[in-house]
Amino acid sequence: MHLTWADGTEHEVTYDDLRHACPCANCGPQRNDDETSLILRRSVEGLPREKPTVRPVGNYALAFEWSTGCSSGIHRFERIWRIGERQDPDNGKSYVHGAW
Amino acid sequence: MAESPVKVNLPGDAPASPSPEDQKKMEAAYNQMKRKMAISEMGKAIKHKIMVLSGKGGVGKSTVATGLALSLAQQGLKVGLLDIDITGPNVPKMMGLDGRRLNVEAGRIHPAEGHLGVKVISMAFLLEDEDTPVVWRGPIKLGAIQQFIGDVEWGNLDYLIIDFPPGTSDEPLTVAQNLPDIDGMVIVTTPQDVALMDSRKSITFANSLKVDVIGVIENMSGYTIRGKAPAGTELELAAPGGKTIAITADGDGNWSGTLDIFKAGGGEKTAIEFGVPFLGKIPFDPGFVRGGDDGVHRIVSEPEGSSSMAFGKVVAQIQTRVEAESVGSGLEII
Repeated sequence: MHLTWADGTEHEVTYDDLRHACPCANCGPQRNDDETSLILRRSVEGLPREKPTVRPVGNYALAFEWSTGCSSGIHRFERIWRIGERQDPDNGKSYVHGAW
Repeated sequence: MAESPVKVNLPGDAPASPSPEDQKKMEAAYNQMKRKMAISEMGKAIKHKIMVLSGKGGVGKSTVATGLALSLAQQGLKVGLLDIDITGPNVPKMMGLDGRRLNVEAGRIHPAEGHLGVKVISMAFLLEDEDTPVVWRGPIKLGAIQQFIGDVEWGNLDYLIIDFPPGTSDEPLTVAQNLPDIDGMVIVTTPQDVALMDSRKSITFANSLKVDVIGVIENMSGYTIRGKAPAGTELELAAPGGKTIAITADGDGNWSGTLDIFKAGGGEKTAIEFGVPFLGKIPFDPGFVRGGDDGVHRIVSEPEGSSSMAFGKVVAQIQTRVEAESVGSGLEII
């Protein structure tokens, strides 16, 4: 995925990175420790290659719909930016149920 | 970081077509797509969409939302009022539409028409009687809200005012996610600290969703009492907080004094603190209580009254702001 931001910054984000960073209530907690995070990564990498349908969520996020795997996550622009910058999308915070 | 990406390019093959066995899924997806298209059309047919929120309950949010809608309609504008307070829908009562049921034709919901031609949709239209509570968990509420957004035949409107329950939960979040090109949120508060504390949360919520805060309205802001006394009589009013207000009756013997029942100026202070506009004060007016109960809003019963004038000033501020600003993220998805 190629992103061009309003300030001219450009990012390349792989679908695997995006899907591994899914912020939904199911995927999020799996990144809380290295072992389960690796399992999530392997499961994402094992999914068929496909182009998602993407839809804007309000003014603040994007949602990606895949025919396989998880499509629940709402990716705030700040998260996508951090993925593009090769930073931790969770910003160092472990998943807390209900918090977004 | 930049506010949002302006272009998202998605390389790769499109997903394979679903198999015939997925017919049901396809139908559901088709209905969802139809709703999305309707929502997109609605985005174009309604010029301005304004969310009315408050952090705390009981600040008169429904009264203010109804007042804004009626004040706009007084100008001859086409106005819709969406009461999305699922568990406590009060707007129909204030609009003289008590007891109305939902009008559905050909799968589309048609709004009821209240005072001054304001089109109204409310959860109350679904209830068998006014004592029936709505006992729904979040996902069902979400579905109802999506229907209220996507399946209502609003027609062309100049303004759609959306009234929410207090707080920053499912209802405003769902609308902010699904309704395109929202002009912004109006935060209603009363002047006391408890209400202001919660209003600050609403402002932060709006910022988090990247929805513009049009401004803060201070409701129940001062109660003016009036009386008669011999001309020139000097009076002392015992006001809240141990204060004394000195008043002198005018030449005709009329006197008036304003009591700050819930303190004063807190809404403006909060607006300044958060760098958002202060839209004005709506006075405490017992006529709102009587009018609400009788189904005749103060603006309808006394269009030239002081409360109507106060609403007129607030509405003028809102119009100046929303009509000057263009909305839309400019996001392009390839």
